[in-house]
Amino acid sequence: MISFDHVSEGPMRDLSFDLAEGASAKVIYDSDDRRNVFFSVITGLRRPAKGRVQWDGQDIYALEENERLALFERIGVVPAYGGLISNLKAWENLMLPAWYHRGLAAPQAERQVVALFGQLGLTEAELQRQMGQLPDQLTMYEKRAVALVRAMLMEPDVLLYDSLFNGLDRESSNRILSVTGEYHGKKAGRISLYLCAEDAVSARLTTDRTITLAH
Amino acid sequence: MSIIPGRIGRVVLNVADYGQGFSELLLYCLRRVGALGRPPVRLVLQKQIYFTGIEALGAVTVIAMLSGIVITTQVTSLVGQNIALTAKIMLWTVVRELGPLLSAIVIIARSSSATASELANMKIRGEVNSLRLLGISPGDYLVVPRVAGITLSVVAVTFYFQMTAIVTGYAFASLTGNLPFVTSLSGILSTLSLTEVSVSLFKALVFGLVISVTSCYYGLRAEGSITAVPRAATGAVMRNLITVFLLNGIISYVFFL
Repeated sequence: MISFDHVSEGPMRDLSFDLAEGASAKVIYDSDDRRNVFFSVITGLRRPAKGRVQWDGQDIYALEENERLALFERIGVVPAYGGLISNLKAWENLMLPAWYHRGLAAPQAERQVVALFGQLGLTEAELQRQMGQLPDQLTMYEKRAVALVRAMLMEPDVLLYDSLFNGLDRESSNRILSVTGEYHGKKAGRISLYLCAEDAVSARLTTDRTITLAH
Repeated sequence: MSIIPGRIGRVVLNVADYGQGFSELLLYCLRRVGALGRPPVRLVLQKQIYFTGIEALGAVTVIAMLSGIVITTQVTSLVGQNIALTAKIMLWTVVRELGPLLSAIVIIARSSSATASELANMKIRGEVNSLRLLGISPGDYLVVPRVAGITLSVVAVTFYFQMTAIVTGYAFASLTGNLPFVTSLSGILSTLSLTEVSVSLFKALVFGLVISVTSCYYGLRAEGSITAVPRAATGAVMRNLITVFLLNGIISYVFFL
């Protein structure tokens, strides 16, 4: 379902891999430059100098803008810094794609949201405080938690986690590992792709495949 | 010697670039007006109407009242207590010119710079791309409701400005000249023709579209560092002022001369 065919761009050289439906993989990077380039290329934001990037057999860079937007309705992206919209409060950010695409209003999603945040270690009181804040008032972990739950509410076919564990303590990392691992198996054919630094957490992460971004 | 032609050439290219970007964005908004049917987009529209229309009413009320009083005072000092002539001049200045123009200036000062800098900030922080990664079209979510909200607000604020200026002007004239307020006001309003009102609202509609599309255009073309944010805001305000004054002259010439 995701295919890189001899893709080269900037510091990323001749990368090839295929991920079939249901697969999980970790992409290990050794530099932030390579991580940035890989993330931009796989999400269609930066056309590679060489090679082809395919989603569902279609070259992502050959898609029209509306086709690409339709594709991303099925992909949950959790960017390293949360990718939250700065003028929307945390709960507005959380609900935005589900409300926009599926008409899912906050009261309908409340139970699922509380359960997911509970798994991430947040109490209802903390959640209430956090939801009323703007992204700039949240910690990195809180931003990532909002982005993670936002992606999960869309029930996507593919989840792309960018540097989910960077800078987190062991307890927070373990919680996220457990939530994402459990979520992967909840939908048949779901692909989970972790973009992570070469560290102790990524070593604990068990996936079907490991792809290395290096020279 | 070659500096002046070079500068002129740059100005022409900038104007051409702006013209092309403006038309593309305007056509996009007209084609995608259906996006307002989505609840999150409607929420952005409501917020925009609140910030641009409702929050501007305080400043607009003060400016409209003072304009009404100044015009009535000046006309009365020139022609004396001639209610018919005062009415005509009041209508010409407030309905035809000052209403649309001053309302547009207030909204340019408040909302054009705010919109351009907000969008520029979002662009530079990567939030426009974040929307794409959520499968949400930045044009549908950010531009369409802002253009619709600012345009509707300009039309409504212009009408409010005109009514406030006329009523205040005549209340002031009645107070200082011992004229019956209700009779003179109804006399003035009866001299208003449909053409006068329609052209005035047409002006407001055109100004609204220009202000909103230009502000979004300058905001979304920002690139690079954070210094692009104030540049986008200043660029949008200056371009809007020039365009609105130019269009005001053209529309007045076409309809009233």
